[in-house]
Order: sequence, then C-alpha cells, then structure tokens
Amino acid sequence: MSIEIRNVNKYFGTYHALRDVNLEFASGELTALLGPSGCGKTSLLRIIAGLEQPDSGQVLLHGEDSTDRHVRERRVGFVFQHYALFRHMTVAENVAFGLTVKPRSQRPSKQAIRKKVMELLDLVQLGFVADRYPNQLSGGQRQRIALARALAVEPKVLLLDEPFGALDASVRKELRRWLRRLHDEIHVTSVFVTHDQEEAMEVADRVVVMNKGVVEQVGTPDEIYDNPATPFVSRFLGSVNLFHGRIHNGWAHIGDLRQEAPAHANGSSGPAVAFLRPHEIDLSDQPEGSIGAATITSIRIVGPLLRLELEREGGEGLVEVELPRERYDARTLPIGRKVYIRPRQMRVFVEKNAS
Amino acid sequence: MSSKHSLVLTEAPWLRVVLITLTLTFVALFLLLPLAAVITEALRNGVEAYWEAIVEPDALAAIRLTLTAAAIAVPLNLVFGVCAAWAIAKHDFRGKNLLVTLIDLPFAVSPVISGLIYVLMFGMQGWLGPWLAEHDIKIVFAVPGIVLATIFVTFPFVARELIPVMQEQGTEEEEAALTLGANGWQTFWRVTLPNIKWGLLYGVILCNARAMGEFGAVSVVSGHIRGQTNTLPLHVEILYNEYNFVAAFATASLLALLALVTLAVKSFVEWRAAQQAAAARNAEPPASVGSLA
Repeated sequence: MSIEIRNVNKYFGTYHALRDVNLEFASGELTALLGPSGCGKTSLLRIIAGLEQPDSGQVLLHGEDSTDRHVRERRVGFVFQHYALFRHMTVAENVAFGLTVKPRSQRPSKQAIRKKVMELLDLVQLGFVADRYPNQLSGGQRQRIALARALAVEPKVLLLDEPFGALDASVRKELRRWLRRLHDEIHVTSVFVTHDQEEAMEVADRVVVMNKGVVEQVGTPDEIYDNPATPFVSRFLGSVNLFHGRIHNGWAHIGDLRQEAPAHANGSSGPAVAFLRPHEIDLSDQPEGSIGAATITSIRIVGPLLRLELEREGGEGLVEVELPRERYDARTLPIGRKVYIRPRQMRVFVEKNAS
Repeated sequence: MSSKHSLVLTEAPWLRVVLITLTLTFVALFLLLPLAAVITEALRNGVEAYWEAIVEPDALAAIRLTLTAAAIAVPLNLVFGVCAAWAIAKHDFRGKNLLVTLIDLPFAVSPVISGLIYVLMFGMQGWLGPWLAEHDIKIVFAVPGIVLATIFVTFPFVARELIPVMQEQGTEEEEAALTLGANGWQTFWRVTLPNIKWGLLYGVILCNARAMGEFGAVSVVSGHIRGQTNTLPLHVEILYNEYNFVAAFATASLLALLALVTLAVKSFVEWRAAQQAAAARNAEPPASVGSLA
C-alpha cells in the first residue's frame, strides 16, 4: 500500500469535516476522490500531503507513519487547482525549484538540474516555453508546468487538487486524457480530487466517493456506476429516477411491481426507495413486470438516443427515460401516449438512509 | 483600450477646463508657492549664507541625528512590518483583528501623545524614570528617546503596505514551495520576498520620509538640546524662533529636498511596478493549446 489513512478525523471549528476515514491507495494506482464541494475531499488530500493536520488518526506513506512528518519531508508532489506557479520565476526556474532548494550535499550540479528540467518539460510537451514566465502561458500549459515541477523531486506519491477545475471545458477534456496517458507512462501513485463524476470515471483506476466527510463507496469506475452502494452514490453519478415503495419480508413493492430484495431479507420492513437510471428503463404496452403506467409528455432526439419525459399516473411525478434509437421508433411514441414503465435493473434502498 | 480622446468622456470641454484650472491653481497656491518661498528665503542672502547655515556644527549635528534615527527606525520597522504582515496575511490566530488595530494606533493618535507616552514611561516622574536614573541611563531628552519616538510613529507604514499585497497573493505559492522541499527561510527568500518587493520598497520609502520629517513626537521627547538632541525639523523650529530666517529656511530646504527625492523614488517604484504588471497582462498566452497531442 502506498498510502493508508487510518481513522482520520478533522474538525474546522465545530464542523466535522472528516469522520473516521479509512482508506488505502495501492502503489501505482490513479485514484479519484469524488464528491460534492464541502465533502472533505480536499481536506483529505491536504492531510495526506501534510499541509493540514488531522485531529486524530494516522497517515501512512509506504508503510511508514507520516502523521507527524513535515510536508517537506513527506516527498509528495502536490498540484494546486490554481497552479501556484512562482510568478517571478521562468518556467525552467519553476521546475528546477525543488532541486535547487535541496541541501548542498544532495543538490545535483547545475548541468544535471538543467538536463532534468528539460527532460520534464519534454515529458509535459512544453520544452519550448522554458524561458517564459507563468503569466505568458495558457491555463492548460500552466497546469502541465505545475505537474512537471511536482515531478522534479521524484515524489513517492502525486496529489492533485482539482487539477482541471480552473480550465474551460475543451481544454479540460484534452488534459485529463493526457494525464491518464502520462500516468500510464510514469506509474507514480496518484490521487486527484474532483467534483466531476465524468472526470473521475474517465481518468481513474479507482474512485472514492465521499459525502459529508464520510467515504460512501470505493471501487472501480464501473463497479461504482453499476452497483452504487448508497442512495447518495446512485444520485451523484448521473441522473436517476426515484420510485417510492415498501420493503416487506424480503420483497420490495415498488408501484405495481413486486420484486425479491435479498439484501433486505432479514425481516426489515418499511418505506423504501428504488433508483433507476434513465437508460435502465424499457417501455411496454403491457402492464406485466412494470412499475406502473405513465403518459409521454415530451420526446427529443439526442444523437443515438431518444430522451423522453413521462408523467406517472396518479400524479407521482416525472420520469426520465433514455431509449436507443435503433430499438425504438420515435413515431410510435407520440406525446400523450400511455405506456408502462418496466425496469431492467433496479436498486432498492430502505428509506431511512435514502437521503 | 487607450483612454486618449475616448468617446466615453462625456464632460463638456468648458467643464474640463474649469476642473483642470481649479486643480492646478490649488496645487500652485498650496504646494508650489510654499516650496518656492522656502527656497527663495533660503537663498535671500546668497549661496554663501545658505551654505554656512547648513555646514554650521549644530546643523550638521541635527542632520546626523536625523539620519541616525532613520537608520535605526526604518530597518527595525522593516523587519517588524514584514513579520506582522506575514503573520496577519498568511495565518489565522486569535486576536488577529486586535493586532491589526494596534498596528494602526500610531496613525490614530496625535504624535504629541506618542511623545508623551515615552516621557510618562521613562521620564523622571515616569514609571521607569527613577530606576533608569539610578543606573544612569538616559532615554528621554536624549538620543534613545528620539529613536523610540521615531520608531513608534513610523511603525505602521511597512506593515500597512504589505498586508493587502500578501493577502491578495494567498498562501498557495508558499505551500507549493514547502511540498517541493523548501524550508521556511528558503520559502521566504525565494518565494515570498520577490512577490512583495515593490510593496515593501514603497512602504520603506514612506517610512523613511516620515522618520526624517517627524516633528511632534520627537519634539516632546527631545528636550531641544542644540547639537545633541535636535533633529532637522526641530532645528528648523529653533532657528525660526530666533528670527534666523535664512538659516531656518536653508535647513528647511534640505527637508524639502528630501521630500522631492522621496517623491521621485516613489514615482519610480510605482512606475516600475506598474510596468511589470502591464508586462504580465500584455504577455498574451499563446492562442492555442493545440500542442497538447
């Protein structure tokens, strides 16, 4: 394990920012800390870096308790959301900084530093800006320089705080693909913080979903998407439809549908809520196996998809549905038509934690 | 976006003329005229008399004392100002607002009171007076008192100048330096200081100008002993009270000269800082990030 977090708690005044967080980050992996703003993901990253101290708990780096180690001894590379490049230094001086502040006995020679800097600038494909100042670069370039600077000291772990947060959408997309490729090349254990689920899914080997200072789920991107562990994760990873119902004796009753719920078999009964993503719904003429009837209120064609809005019978709210165009014909689904909602896949949670 | 002949300027030409004339007249009447008067009066009896008034031993002593007081007060307040601004801008702690208020105190109280504080503390009737007298240490009516009063009065300049600059810059660059393995000193010398150098220089210039020109506080603690505890402004006053106008104005012209030099250096610093800021803005980022692939 490259990084281990054990029972970490952090308070800001009376605000409990991190609650008993336990996490492990495997060597060479690229992990995303995903969550809404204020969920504690950045605090956790800063605690790993040593820029913040936990109120209790431990941080282990490569098996060694580093909780009380100073930032500069931890050998972590940190990339800031707003780059934090030294504005009065050239790009080359920025990248060289970590090497030139080493004690004289460990400091490489001037030529060695220069060579290393050029290697790193080539790695981030920005060799041609070596003599420019940070304010002469675009946002994407600055962030790549910040990365090169962090890598110059050969960190054991690389931490990135919303690395693409300050960039515009197109640059962001390009840069995250680039980060993924770079990581495949250098394989340093990396953790990045993001509130963008698409970014986490696309870039990371593993995703840690956090909410209100608690880790909700840890898993590969598809595990998290296909099997969200909590209602929060379900909702956070894209739009979902909510269906209220009951759980009774190991059976879930959602609308007209009765379905076995083995996870809740041990007698718990009470209100429940089912989550269905728009693409996990089929529409049918027949009531069998359906949650209930609904009326089509709008239909739009979005690329390969039909995007429909349905109004459930009995005023139980709107349902969003996405259907592949090769299986459905828009002409057979006119506005006002009555259809039955048939789930292909459904996750049921007991209502009390369906926050 | 040049404001030259900008169409946005909607004021009528006559109003512009009136405003400019008013301002210039005011400046001439209240700033230039007195300055000219000082120089004319100083040279009334010719350059020789002027020169004699300046190289006279008491005047030289006053110059020396003024320079000494500034030479002690400015570096001390430089160090203190940087420390205070650093603490206030980059850290959160209890009583931070109180500290900010205290730094402003010398601006808020009359300089005469600043001087009196020291008389009350170190004077013969003051708290520490008897003890000091016993050990034969003179503070009030001696050079140490003048230096202390000068430090007190010029205390806020550097800190006040730096706090907004440092607050605006935040702590990210320092944090970046720490994660890269720099220690506290390296972070300060190589990251913080270069970022605040213009603000710092500006604060030092203002601090120095005030240190050399201070009258009220120094007047209270000085005791006006000629050749010993007279600074330049005090020397001017004494000469004037003795109706020695040529000498008074000659000495005053030195202070006026100091003011002009200060203004020139200040303008230069502002110009340089603005130039750098403009260079930073004008340096267009390369249009594309197309080199990404």
